[in-house]
Amino acid sequence: MMTAQLKVGDQLQTVTHEVTNDKMIEFEKCVWDRGRNSHSDINAAKADGITRTIASGQNQMAFVHELLEKNFGDAWVYGGKISLRYIHPVYAGDRLTATGLVTEVGEVDGKPRVTLQVWCENQDGRKTSAGTASAGQPSPLKSWIKTESGAAA
Amino acid sequence: MSAELDEHKVWASIPVGDDLGSLDYVLTEQMVADYRRVVDNPQAAYPTVAARHPANLFYRKYAAVMRVPNMGHDSEYFNPPVAGKRITISGRIADKYIRRGHPYIIVEAVAVDEDGRLIEKSRLVGHAREVGREAAHETIAKKWGA
Repeated sequence: MMTAQLKVGDQLQTVTHEVTNDKMIEFEKCVWDRGRNSHSDINAAKADGITRTIASGQNQMAFVHELLEKNFGDAWVYGGKISLRYIHPVYAGDRLTATGLVTEVGEVDGKPRVTLQVWCENQDGRKTSAGTASAGQPSPLKSWIKTESGAAA
Repeated sequence: MSAELDEHKVWASIPVGDDLGSLDYVLTEQMVADYRRVVDNPQAAYPTVAARHPANLFYRKYAAVMRVPNMGHDSEYFNPPVAGKRITISGRIADKYIRRGHPYIIVEAVAVDEDGRLIEKSRLVGHAREVGREAAHETIAKKWGA
């Protein structure tokens, strides 16, 4: 199975999701219940000086991860790096698109390494998070996904 | 700088390198399923909530005096976590600085599973706010117009 090698200027296949209030609340309960906070409760948000709840930055990070998982497969999951900053608030009802643009293709320790600009932007085209990511060239394997037979995808 | 240090006494008292200790939890199938449903990604490899590791360790020690709403994350992924495995995370204060008058704390956490597999390293960029002082997002809210 062959996977196309990325080159400078290539743009990744994007990922788009709508952020809902229910999902924002649920996100705060995933793995650890973080209680009421400015991501899930309007009174907590007001106590933090903002007028409405804002989505967790990690909610945006999840979308960028999906972008990189889909485009890089195992090359992302085994050895991916990301540096992301949350630069504009995300509210319930926003529609976010995660995007990546290849800026450099080189080698690190003798292995191919692809560097990208990554970001999320909302329905108005405003960036809500931005940063860089890097991984090996895309892999056709997604070994963390188990098929019904138990084999890796 | 001394005026800034005086203004941010609690921030100044937290030493770079401070050991935040460790904690562990079992990543269950249900946690994975919940996460995948909430992020609308049924095949999520699931590392992203790991970005909460640094904050969890930080608040265990400093919740009474300091909040660190995250402005960003720097993370590196080595192996996807496996449901059913116990994950141990350990943390430290990796760095701190004042930028444009705002104090920041960088909290680092490393996650390893029960088989010794390195899962991820994550650094939280926290906008430090002393509990009881100005609202955490006040200046950010103004900047954002929220």
